[in-house]
Amino acid sequence: MSLSRSADSIGIDREAGSPAPAIVESKTDSPVSPAVYTNELRKDFRGTTALRGLSMSVGRGEVFGFLGPNGAGKTTAVKLLLGLVRPSGGEAMVLGAPAGDRETRRRIGYLPELFRFQSWLTATEVLALHWRLLQLPKAAMRSAIADSLRTVGLGERSGDKVGTFSKGMQQRLGLAVALLGEPELVILDEPTSALDPVGRHDVRAIIRSVRDRGAAVFLNTHLLEEAEHVCDRVCVIDRGRSIATGTLADLLGGTSSVRLKVAGLEVGWWTDLGLAHFVLDGDWLLAERIQPGQIPELVAAIVARGGLIDAVIPEHQTLEERFLELLAEP
Amino acid sequence: MNPIITIALLTLREAVRRRLVAACAAITIGLVGLSAWGFDRLSHNHSITSGEVSVAIPQALILFMFMFSFVVALSASAMASPAISGEVESGVLQAIVARPIRRSELLLGKWLGLATVLLAYSAVVSGLEVGVVDWVSGFVPPNPLVFAAFLFAEGVILLTLTLLLSTRLSAIATGVVAIAMFGAAWLGGVVGSLGAAFNIASLRTIGQVARYLLPTDGLWHGAIYYLEPHSFVAERLSEASQSSANPFFAQAPPTWTYLVWVGVWFLVVLAAGLVSFERREL
Repeated sequence: MSLSRSADSIGIDREAGSPAPAIVESKTDSPVSPAVYTNELRKDFRGTTALRGLSMSVGRGEVFGFLGPNGAGKTTAVKLLLGLVRPSGGEAMVLGAPAGDRETRRRIGYLPELFRFQSWLTATEVLALHWRLLQLPKAAMRSAIADSLRTVGLGERSGDKVGTFSKGMQQRLGLAVALLGEPELVILDEPTSALDPVGRHDVRAIIRSVRDRGAAVFLNTHLLEEAEHVCDRVCVIDRGRSIATGTLADLLGGTSSVRLKVAGLEVGWWTDLGLAHFVLDGDWLLAERIQPGQIPELVAAIVARGGLIDAVIPEHQTLEERFLELLAEP
Repeated sequence: MNPIITIALLTLREAVRRRLVAACAAITIGLVGLSAWGFDRLSHNHSITSGEVSVAIPQALILFMFMFSFVVALSASAMASPAISGEVESGVLQAIVARPIRRSELLLGKWLGLATVLLAYSAVVSGLEVGVVDWVSGFVPPNPLVFAAFLFAEGVILLTLTLLLSTRLSAIATGVVAIAMFGAAWLGGVVGSLGAAFNIASLRTIGQVARYLLPTDGLWHGAIYYLEPHSFVAERLSEASQSSANPFFAQAPPTWTYLVWVGVWFLVVLAAGLVSFERREL
């Protein structure tokens, strides 16, 4: 499937298996209502347009990567989903209710991009505060908080003041806050920005475990490697508009290249072949922009011309390459 | 637990953990101790008559209490300035507001927590100072409880105004504007007193308008009245009319009309704060 530009990004969502808007439009929180649904969502700030009509849908139990360069409107979109800012136009539904609905926020966990907690509280006290704000049963609080802190690797610092924590530890605490009460939707805004490689690995494992229990994760990030590791689908936004949405296969599968080592043929044998754009690279021949289904055809053509094939190495485009390509498109 | 109570308890805990309570307690005990020494010197000074002492002690008590009212006002402003805007700027508030809590509950919780600190401070400082003055000089003002209530009300008025400002301005701007308004209201009261003393209508009007626009000075004068013995008031009134120019003298308690206005002012400013915070984009 080729990647579409913004106008038909919802079309890709449908084909990729996300909930159909017909179900979304019921606006009731049935199990099939998407975790997040936006349609032409717009946000203007005093003469500046942060979002220019964002349309996307995130299914339950899905890890959804929300990618874009700095200033693309990612955090604005997250704040709209939480009701921290009001939309200037369009529609936003979260867990079947209008974005910002107070009762629905009980089922959402949120790690802000600017994660700061009361420095004069201990880690346990911060979580207890959020437990009370969630109005969850007091009897289960102690063990739930201990579990949460263990999950994010802060079990041994539970009684320490947040003010003594490093940035990375505060981000881990933020993750524990976001996961408290097993929310149905976890919104993580740049969740690994302050973490070391071990921390990033831990966060990926946590995100997968959240998905495994059926919750959706909305992962707002500019770290493409992170998205590549954990996301089922991604949406790329730029200048406030979605420029591509789909599974990673959708995004990356459309174009790829093959590295070939061929003997027994004169240089230039490929000029009349078509199929790809060929570039000689030392002993190797790079067949760029070839469709994956055409690789056998290419191999057959080489054999038919009497070539001896030493190696055929498919090279997939990285998300970073695709991302840069998308941003460069007019 | 009600979210308002949760936030109020959090605010109280912050005041204790950030050593605001300890700092206030230390400075207050120091000042009260200093005043005890001063009142002892004043009441046991053989170079002045007992009649002069009976006038000087209430006057000195009012001056000391003015200092404490200033501490109450500064505390109200300093505590409330960062309460909303400071936490928005730091990012602390975003994680809280994303929870199933109304913004009005958050603001009311903060108001309740800070008002509790002011109430405790007003009660303790009034009780300590009045007790110390009684101990060293035997003078007890006519109604220290009502004085404490007015002192608290003055703090609450400034607290409510500062919270409203904090929903829109930065923490520093909020603090500066609130204190400047408090100072201007006090000065407006002084100007009004001068107008009354010298019978200048325009100055008197300025004083009246100032007391209605920001009732802190009006409430301070209410507080003063309940520290003054009746004989003290009668004596002052029998003096030259210029005595009413004294910003540390109240010849009458606030009228009920004025107190109703203060109640309306408080409700309107609190409601404005709630609406402003509700509409603020975070």
